[in-house]
Amino acid sequence: MFELQNMTVRFSFGEALREASLRINPGDRIGIVGESGSGKSMLAACLMGMVPDAAELTGTLGVDGIDMTHASEAHWQTIRARRVAMIFQEPMSALNPLRRVGETVAEPMRVHLGLGKAQARARVSALFKEVGIPDPDSRLRMFPHELSGGQRQRVLIALALACDPELLIADEPTTALDANVALKITDLLVDLSRTRNMALVFISHDLAAVARATTDIAVMYGGDIVERGRTAEVLANPVHPYTQGLLAARPDPRAVPRDANGRRRRLPTIPGTVPPLYKLPQGCRFSGRCAVERSACAYVKPAPVGPRHATCHAITQDTL
Amino acid sequence: MTYFLLRRTFGFIATLIAVSIVVFAVMNVLPGDPALTILGMDATDDALAALRKELGLNDPLLARYFAWVGGALTGDFGTSHSFRVPVAELITERLAMTVSLAVAGMVLTLVIALSVGIFAAANHGKAGDWATMFISQLGIAVPAFWLSILLVLLFAVKLRWLPPGGFAGWSDPVAALRSLVLPTVALALVQSAVLARVTRSSALEVMRQDFTRTARASGLSQRRILWRHVLPNALVPIVTIVGMQFAALVTGTIVIENVFYLPGLGRLIFQSIANRDLPTVQALVMLFAVIVVTANFVVDLLYVLIDPRLKARA
Amino acid sequence: MKSLPANFTIGAVLVALVLGAAALSLVWTPHDPTALNIRGKFAAPSAAHWLGTDQLGRDIVSQLMAAARNSMTVAIVAVFLGGSIGVALGLLASAIGGWVEDGVMRLADLGFAFPALLFAIMLAAVFGPSLTNAVLAIAFINIPIFARVARASANQVWTREYVLAARAAGMNKLAITRDHILPNIAAAVIVQATIEFAVAILAEAALSYLGLGAQPPASSWGRMLSEAQTLIYLAPELAIYPGLCIVTAVLGFGLLGDGLRDVTDPRLARAR
Repeated sequence: MFELQNMTVRFSFGEALREASLRINPGDRIGIVGESGSGKSMLAACLMGMVPDAAELTGTLGVDGIDMTHASEAHWQTIRARRVAMIFQEPMSALNPLRRVGETVAEPMRVHLGLGKAQARARVSALFKEVGIPDPDSRLRMFPHELSGGQRQRVLIALALACDPELLIADEPTTALDANVALKITDLLVDLSRTRNMALVFISHDLAAVARATTDIAVMYGGDIVERGRTAEVLANPVHPYTQGLLAARPDPRAVPRDANGRRRRLPTIPGTVPPLYKLPQGCRFSGRCAVERSACAYVKPAPVGPRHATCHAITQDTL
Repeated sequence: MTYFLLRRTFGFIATLIAVSIVVFAVMNVLPGDPALTILGMDATDDALAALRKELGLNDPLLARYFAWVGGALTGDFGTSHSFRVPVAELITERLAMTVSLAVAGMVLTLVIALSVGIFAAANHGKAGDWATMFISQLGIAVPAFWLSILLVLLFAVKLRWLPPGGFAGWSDPVAALRSLVLPTVALALVQSAVLARVTRSSALEVMRQDFTRTARASGLSQRRILWRHVLPNALVPIVTIVGMQFAALVTGTIVIENVFYLPGLGRLIFQSIANRDLPTVQALVMLFAVIVVTANFVVDLLYVLIDPRLKARA
Repeated sequence: MKSLPANFTIGAVLVALVLGAAALSLVWTPHDPTALNIRGKFAAPSAAHWLGTDQLGRDIVSQLMAAARNSMTVAIVAVFLGGSIGVALGLLASAIGGWVEDGVMRLADLGFAFPALLFAIMLAAVFGPSLTNAVLAIAFINIPIFARVARASANQVWTREYVLAARAAGMNKLAITRDHILPNIAAAVIVQATIEFAVAILAEAALSYLGLGAQPPASSWGRMLSEAQTLIYLAPELAIYPGLCIVTAVLGFGLLGDGLRDVTDPRLARAR
């Protein structure tokens, strides 16, 4: 079990993550959504022990009750792959181009599980089958450049599963893929999570993919988790102004692109852009772009309110 | 793949032919009359005529070129004018010295440069990185022969651990190896300065790539990531420099043999220059040029071995 | 005002030091660098002889200064000679293209088969060792280097809009090369020249050390070292000073070249 409590990741130029708390139980499927720069990748880096050296960490990260916040790199090497594994956005460049993919996937098995060459190979072959790579015995002899993007992402999933982790973090796993391939990869991750009782943290800015993949969701903005809850409920009835804006900005495929006068319909957007880390407001990170902003918002950090833990001064118990 | 090999091999042979033409032209056309060059101004007409006949200078230039190349291909480099023995014999006697020096120098260069370069990259921005970069910058500016003299000053003159030069033959292997320690180190230290810098910057480039992060996310140790994932991917620029350095190393042996009075091909070249022994100089210059060209050819082939993506394209 | 990179500043200081000593030696040295004084041989450093004297009683400082001048002269002449021929060939290749370009580049490849030492050895065997041969050998190896740099930079300039405009306006290739290409590749050529300067100083020192360069009584750092080596048990300090001079000069031009490249092409600086 993984638990982040009030985790803050501070750089000299700003906070990439602020007092984030997240509890991950076996079999959980949690979506993390937000724009780039919202801190979702930093959250993943915390869970992997891969926060850059320059950062200062406060709060706690517990792995099965052991505090790993300031654990050594050597300690983390015993956690990664065996307890928590991760797949990244770019399947094109995330594989060592000089190695046959079978060797790449076998390496953590041989290092962490002490498997012999033949054992590891059999296991890689079985894993390739599990993640839907056809003809695994010939594919594992191929080099990354000989495989398609979707196949590479499947190889990376197999690599992440090599040592049966309890938690799999997928950071934008489908962004670089064609739409139909992306759907298949999303469904594969869900299936794997179910059959293995493996927790899945699914990071994406694609709300449709998150809705399909997860049961719970955390919405992030500027290093804060601004709202959380059951995925279906949050998406159907968002309470935080940022979540509302994010959902409204989603293009509806059924919508008519032009109105009766032939004018192009404009998608409602959140005004402005995500400011860089060093320009984030001290209080609510969303102030400055928020439609319901009050005078105190920019200076006072809102406390989480209600079952959604929404961090917004405009939300009180009675507005919920 | 076959097409690539054929094209490269063809280019290699074409370069060798061109090199042989240049060497032959410089040594036979520039001097006007090689016999006069060899014997000097005060030679008698009879002696000149005899030498011209011996060197085959009365034949047309083209015929002499083909005779030389044809002979060289069958291991016949003509007769040394000063030693009065076949040049091939002179070369085989001394080849072992030069080859062992060059190979030992290359191996030591690789060991030093790769370790130091990877160490610096792993400690990027820290004191260890700065120190190695500073020392290597200095090392690039140090001539091999001066470094040799400094090593002699310290290890032979002051500490008296190793001989300052000379070589007593291979019959006493320990003494022979002791004579080769300082030359090898001098050769390797200078070469590794450049290579360590290339290794470092190339490794840093690779460490920024996504698959390094994947390896780390797989719980692999930094050591394993550096040597098994980063280094192989950093090899292409490294191999390029190694190919160029091998040329520098081979000519470096010429200098080093003269610094340490080692009986190799480099010494032979200088003895032959002093003796105006044109056939021997010509054969040796050709031999060294062939080594340089071959090293570059081998590097071209190595690229394909290192990177499977190039094999697909080649 | 952006601050200059450290390698540029340090390099410039070292280069100024060496060039200053070389220039000063034209008008003044503490003693005549070639004046023998057998009775005053191996003198310890003193007010008269700042670094002492050598085995023939010659003043070390004066010799080092004269050697600096000789070394700089060799480097300037060799790099200028090889550089001009190389740049001319590179510009020609770039302007004409086609088989001329291929031919020039193949020739350049061939040039790389001959390190300066091998070329100097051939010339020494034919003409006897001399400083002129050393200069020619160093100039020769610079030709392919500059040909490549000039061609690569010129090829980029040829694709720029104002060059295309000039061609469309009927300007001939020679005029375009003179008015547009040459000024635009100058920075790249100067950076390369600075770096090759360092290489030339090293090569001259090595050739003179081997007896293929400066002949007695001309002063040369390389030759001073080869003489000092024979006296290494008697006067080890003689083997130190010339080496330090070589390192200073080579390091200076090398750093200056790197610094110039960082200044003129920030893109490259970041990539390295």
